[in-house]
Amino acid sequence: MAQTVLSLTDVTKRYENGTEAVRGVSLDVIEGEIFGILGPNGAGKTTTLEMIETLQTITSGTITLLGINVADDPLAVKKLIGVQPQTPGFQDKTRLSEVLELFAAAYGVKADPMKSLSEVGLADKARCFVEELSGGQRQRFSIAVALVHQPRIFFMDEPTTGLDPQARRNLWELMREVRRRGATVILTTHYMDEARLLCDRVAIMDTGKIIALDAPANLIAALLMRGFKKEQQVEEANLEDVFIDLTGKELRD
Amino acid sequence: MRNAWRIIYVFALINTKRFFRNRVAIFFGVLFPLIILFVIGGIFGGGGNASFTTALITQSSTTPATAIATRIERKPDVFKLSKTVRTFAEARSAMAKGTLDATIVVPAGFGASASGSVPSGALVVYYPHANAQEAQALASVLQSELEPLNAPYEPVRPPYTVKTEQTGSRSLTSFDYTFAGLLGFALLGIGIFGPTSVFPELKRQGVLRRLETTPLKIWQYFIATAISQCVVGFVTIVAMFAVSILVFHLHVIGNWFELFAFLTLSVAMILGIGLAIGGWAKDQSQAAPLANIVTFPMLFLSGTFFPRYLMPGWLQVISTYFPLTPVIDGVRMIAAEGRGLSGVASQLGLVLAWAVVIYLIAFRVFRWS
Repeated sequence: MAQTVLSLTDVTKRYENGTEAVRGVSLDVIEGEIFGILGPNGAGKTTTLEMIETLQTITSGTITLLGINVADDPLAVKKLIGVQPQTPGFQDKTRLSEVLELFAAAYGVKADPMKSLSEVGLADKARCFVEELSGGQRQRFSIAVALVHQPRIFFMDEPTTGLDPQARRNLWELMREVRRRGATVILTTHYMDEARLLCDRVAIMDTGKIIALDAPANLIAALLMRGFKKEQQVEEANLEDVFIDLTGKELRD
Repeated sequence: MRNAWRIIYVFALINTKRFFRNRVAIFFGVLFPLIILFVIGGIFGGGGNASFTTALITQSSTTPATAIATRIERKPDVFKLSKTVRTFAEARSAMAKGTLDATIVVPAGFGASASGSVPSGALVVYYPHANAQEAQALASVLQSELEPLNAPYEPVRPPYTVKTEQTGSRSLTSFDYTFAGLLGFALLGIGIFGPTSVFPELKRQGVLRRLETTPLKIWQYFIATAISQCVVGFVTIVAMFAVSILVFHLHVIGNWFELFAFLTLSVAMILGIGLAIGGWAKDQSQAAPLANIVTFPMLFLSGTFFPRYLMPGWLQVISTYFPLTPVIDGVRMIAAEGRGLSGVASQLGLVLAWAVVIYLIAFRVFRWS
């Protein structure tokens, strides 16, 4: 029986201005899965993640991560998780190898910048400044940084937004690689094809609540069971397939 | 704890390197204070006393007239004679323009004697209204210069006289006294205006938000940043000392080691103010006005350019406790007056107290985003 690594029980978040961003969310994440949180903008995805990551206070409810109550011991939680924020910010005029050293120091581990960078295909950029990277390179670098202390649970907030198809595919490979190495991955996304391909289970959120939670295939099956019919026959290939076929899978940045 | 110091070391080292890769930051952090130093130093310039220039117009060619003129010309450090002004008309217009402060005239007939009587004459000092005091001083100096000429005719030396003596045998220039204030002024730039923008800029880039996800503690990050800013500040201060010594002939009488120790603590304390403001502020627009509010009273009342003894008593009492005041006083006492750290104990104590208060506040008000 797979172990539950993260458990939310009736979690709510009310901001000082009265807005209720998260309203009674409960979910369990199982070790080694890729768990997706889907939902339109403003559904409460990021707020939920930030409460788990100890960046936001929890208004009510309980979050337990690897047996630790997040509200009680945020420091212990920080050591166990890796966080990839929506827009990865790194200080300018700092080399990639130096950023990795900073984060390794912050986690109290020894840095191996070249190893970290080669895992995300950026070994040749070690002496570059962060501002010299392209969008996709930046995302990959951000992942390398978030993994510097080998976290047990890895959070990614809309990691593929704004990337070209090649960079997206490359990032999917990276996420699978992270999972292969034993980490649990929790991500938010706006792309349904991405969720379908990557996630073992997804939670769909809207207006601060979870309105569905299951494996993507099960959710689709349930919809079809209710008599849903797509207006058009599914194409054998779509435009993205054409694009990838024509331009290749090679990374461009 | 060892780990904490390693964190501070790594962050301080890399962030110091980062600063020196930023040309704009180097300009404002290092070169700008030097430019100010050149401007202000030029104004208070290397000269000994205030530069009070005079002209000497000799209209008599008698022996006593030549004798007194020679005596005056032989003391350029006292009289600072203008080399361009030759006639009384020139002197008048120069004084009207303010380029000349006073004119000494040896009038026609000075030193001449009516047959059989003692030769006599009166030197005349012409001065614009504004220089009344200086003209008085000039007159009494001239009076004493006339003494040897009078001696043969005054058989008895006057029993009661006035003697003036300079305190402190070392010849300090006015720049030596100005320098401490100048350094204090530069410290406001190095310690408050520069560092105030450090954290807001990192907040804007989303860097601090990212660091917040790590176990990094505020005090560790804050101290690391303070150390790297301190290094930057010291490069500026060393450059200021070098320029002052080479260009403006600054005399540092006190012990360099004690001066260095006092300055380290002072820089760290003033820096804390800038970093605290930036750590609290959500963005630049919040930080800048607060930095101004905090800086302005110190800029004018801590003895940077305006000596505090010119202020009303109550203001002197209040300004004694401003963070920058003990820094300027302490630097002056060590560098210009040669006191040791024990001689500036009250200044040292005040700087230490402020450092503790500032850093405690800074850790509390710091925000990651």
